[in-house]
Amino acid sequence: MFKLKQVHTNIGALQIIQDVSIEIEKGEFVALLGSNGAGKTTLFRTIAGVLKPKSGSVEFNGVPIHRLPVHKIVELGLVLCPQGRQLFPQLSVQKNLLLGAFPLRGDKKRIQKNLDRVFALFPILKERVNQQAGTFSGGEQQMLAIGRALMGEPKMLLLDEPSVGLAPLIVKHIGDIIANINHEMDTTVFLSEQNANMALNITQRGYVLESGRCVLSGQCSDLKKDEKVRKAYIGA
Amino acid sequence: MELLLQQIFNGIMFGSTYAIVALGLTLVMGILSIPNFAHGHLYMLGGYITFFFISATGLGFWLSMLLSVITLGLIGVLMERMVYRPLTDQPHINAFIAAIGALLFLEALALVVWGPQGLRIPNPYPQNIQFLGITMGLQRLLVIGGAAVLILCLHLFMKKTLMGTTIEAVAQNREGAMLNGINVNRVSAITFGISSATAAIAASFLSPIFMLSPSMGAILGMKAFIIVILGGMGSIPGAILGGYILGLIEALGGGYVSAAYKDVFAFGALIVILSFKPTGIFGKKEA
Repeated sequence: MFKLKQVHTNIGALQIIQDVSIEIEKGEFVALLGSNGAGKTTLFRTIAGVLKPKSGSVEFNGVPIHRLPVHKIVELGLVLCPQGRQLFPQLSVQKNLLLGAFPLRGDKKRIQKNLDRVFALFPILKERVNQQAGTFSGGEQQMLAIGRALMGEPKMLLLDEPSVGLAPLIVKHIGDIIANINHEMDTTVFLSEQNANMALNITQRGYVLESGRCVLSGQCSDLKKDEKVRKAYIGA
Repeated sequence: MELLLQQIFNGIMFGSTYAIVALGLTLVMGILSIPNFAHGHLYMLGGYITFFFISATGLGFWLSMLLSVITLGLIGVLMERMVYRPLTDQPHINAFIAAIGALLFLEALALVVWGPQGLRIPNPYPQNIQFLGITMGLQRLLVIGGAAVLILCLHLFMKKTLMGTTIEAVAQNREGAMLNGINVNRVSAITFGISSATAAIAASFLSPIFMLSPSMGAILGMKAFIIVILGGMGSIPGAILGGYILGLIEALGGGYVSAAYKDVFAFGALIVILSFKPTGIFGKKEA
């Protein structure tokens, strides 16, 4: 379903991503692990089309997408829930969510159905539907960002460090919800995390990124046992 | 008392024009985060194009205005596409320079096509109305009423339509908007079109009262910038309120002290307000 082939990405003159290849099948739940500065965000921004790769290719459902503008990639069903959430702070929760459904514009029934689904996942959003997004706490903003990304019915969801800056209890809550999105909604999920503990517990497979290179990949059960992963990312 | 009322009436009329022009400017600044120095010149061009349709085709005031608004909307779209979009990823200074280039081009264009002498659109509503001892020209009332209707329509458009919401979204978070599947280039072009079209409306309303001249865009553009800064960058209510405040300050200062000093009052007010509230009346603190 999703293929990344030998992708290199530069930011300015700096080479950030070097020769990364990744393959994900439909319905899978895959983790991208790496420390701060490993290039996780740059890789996700490359996949979403915000950055263009210097070489290599990105394919989604058989379509090469690495030269497409961001909104075209979203229309194909590949949606990034970005780091820093990138919400619309002065707009209400309702409007933020409706904008998430922009690719479905006009189809009121589907939008309403998706809205109900998001409210079922995150009841707090329903309670605060008219509140400005900028007044939310970090955890609530993260929920809104995930909810907004789901509004457009993505086939594949990229989640860039949803746990960053959140309290452990909320991290656990959000982790459960992401797992639920993958199981119940049949959405392929690619999750980037520094918090390897959380990520390896809910995903099936993982890739480890180090200084822009993919240094390790495999089943989560194997990654958890890997000495390097334990030392670097789990702290045990 | 009559003098006061008369000056307030004039102030509201000028303020209406200022509010519309500043509104258009603030929309574009919010979206593209670059100051469109040529906005006043688009206003000037709007006036001339209305004049052109009236004088060359003999169409009536309203139809000419409609055609002028459409023309300016298209010019705005074209200007975004040709002048500003190629500079999206360049340093801001490049867009500044491009804006000044566009401004000089438009002014020279008007000078070549219509000449330096003032032109006047025949006043479609020359009647006067006496009310509370003051004289109100019907065309001046039209400026005030037309501006109020336009502001209301723009408000409804921004708050109640998906297109309006996407404009706000792009202004608040460009990348966030892209990641939701919004074509930000298209939104920028449409916003530019709307901004230019509203400038043409303001110019068409006011041109039967005041002369058209190629240089009229420069001073109005400058005032629109004052208003946008006064009201708080990118703030729509700020632009509207700022427009009316500036109109009233000019009219009252001009009426009671001396008309020659009206720009002194306008710019003086800017200095005073900014020294007390550096982010403008509706401005938010920098995050």
